[in-house]
Amino acid sequence: MFQDRISPTGVGSMSDPVAEKVLATLASVKRLPVENIKLDTNLQEMGIDSLDVFSLLFELENAFKISIPDDEVRSIKTVNDIVNGIKKLLAAAPPDASVGSPSSAD
Amino acid sequence: MPPRRVAITGLGIICPLGLNLAETWDALRAGRPGIGPIQSVDCSSLRFRNGAEVRSYDPAAHFPEGRDAYMDRFAQFSVVAAREAMRHSGIELTPALRERAAIICGSAVGGQSAIEKGFEDLYVAGRGRVHPLTIPKTMSNAGASHISMDLGLSGPTYTVSTACSSANHAIGQAFRLVRWGEADMAITGGSEALFTIGMLKAWEAMRVISPDTCRPFSKDRRGMILGEGGAMIVLEPWEAAQARGAAIYGEICGFGMTSDASHLTQPTVAGPARAMSAALREAGLAAEAIGYINAHGTGTSGNDPIETSAIREVFGAHANRLAVSSTKSLHGHALGAAGALEAVATVLALYHGILPPTANYTQPDPECDLDYIPNQPRAARVEAALSNSFAFGGLNAVVAFRAAPR
Repeated sequence: MFQDRISPTGVGSMSDPVAEKVLATLASVKRLPVENIKLDTNLQEMGIDSLDVFSLLFELENAFKISIPDDEVRSIKTVNDIVNGIKKLLAAAPPDASVGSPSSAD
Repeated sequence: MPPRRVAITGLGIICPLGLNLAETWDALRAGRPGIGPIQSVDCSSLRFRNGAEVRSYDPAAHFPEGRDAYMDRFAQFSVVAAREAMRHSGIELTPALRERAAIICGSAVGGQSAIEKGFEDLYVAGRGRVHPLTIPKTMSNAGASHISMDLGLSGPTYTVSTACSSANHAIGQAFRLVRWGEADMAITGGSEALFTIGMLKAWEAMRVISPDTCRPFSKDRRGMILGEGGAMIVLEPWEAAQARGAAIYGEICGFGMTSDASHLTQPTVAGPARAMSAALREAGLAAEAIGYINAHGTGTSGNDPIETSAIREVFGAHANRLAVSSTKSLHGHALGAAGALEAVATVLALYHGILPPTANYTQPDPECDLDYIPNQPRAARVEAALSNSFAFGGLNAVVAFRAAPR
């Protein structure tokens, strides 16, 4: 359902399912129009604090069936940092079936 | 009625450093951490493995005839610590004193293992019913209530729950009850027992737990290490303690509490700074009188630079002459009991003239530029000290201690 609302200005013309999912999840967590979020958006500047980031990562861990290490989290500054970090984790390991529950993974 | 001086005449503790006061002081004065692989919970599904647990504790030795079954671990810790503190004080309880004795305890999460067991029975085992003692074991005031019943003390008794500031808030309340004549003695401190898989999972999700150890103020710090335990101190009016010839281990002379009114988990500089200033003001102490601060010092990226800035704001140039340490690097972060464990550490430090170190310190951080007593304890006679606690929710509580005259 999120995909219908992805703005081309958010992820560019290329289809990038990871970026789309991150933007959609962030929009959902912060109750923001997805059009307002771009990949190079600085999280702090748009009022996204550490608690928002942790909530976002929790949803993304469920969505992508991955576990994001704490040390990776410290360097996150922009939406793109999250997208790249998730791509790196997805490339490094197959989805972790133990992460996420049926009720929260959508 | 003018304010009374408040003497500390008894100390009791059970924590990852030891099962009693003597064992704990041995570890504190040596700077020997009680941190290691968590044994009471299977951590194979967690991103961290280490914690500071109370090891070799035998509930039946303290609570025979199955009495331990009526108490969650956190409540047992409160009673074990309170009994030792009372023995240590040598107070002889009269019927009148029993009615004028306050018990003010701190606990952040109360009987966590009792409620979790109930939920496991209900949701996992599908039993459809939970144990009848789930409620009285879970309630956060169980620690204070069990002390009251165990020792036969019937004055004002309650529990304060302000996350990581719980014990300092409790100690501050007890201090003022004695100071202003509402109580003629008090047992105060805190207890916590948080090693359950549900609790550890919740902390993992907060992403503030170190995967190795707790390195407060060190550049390579990676978060906090959870701890558990209980600590209690006995407070009396100074004159009453002197009149009965009691050994006085120190004095509580001030208390400051503020709220950040800012963010649920990100601290401010102003809130903690105002709490420290308020404690100094009530104590009538000049900033220059403080020689040691037992810091909140969680070892997280959020706390340590902010606390450093707050200390600089309050103490100005004197900040460079202060000794600061975080004993959480030794006993872990026992949440609602943290301030109680640290009160005992601070009083013993002043009494013995040995300041416990910040353990596991490896690298200076430009953002944390005070004297943190790295790794080695330090012999130093200090006139007065502060003990800081800053909680999630932005609630700050600072206790000011003065050394007993020698």
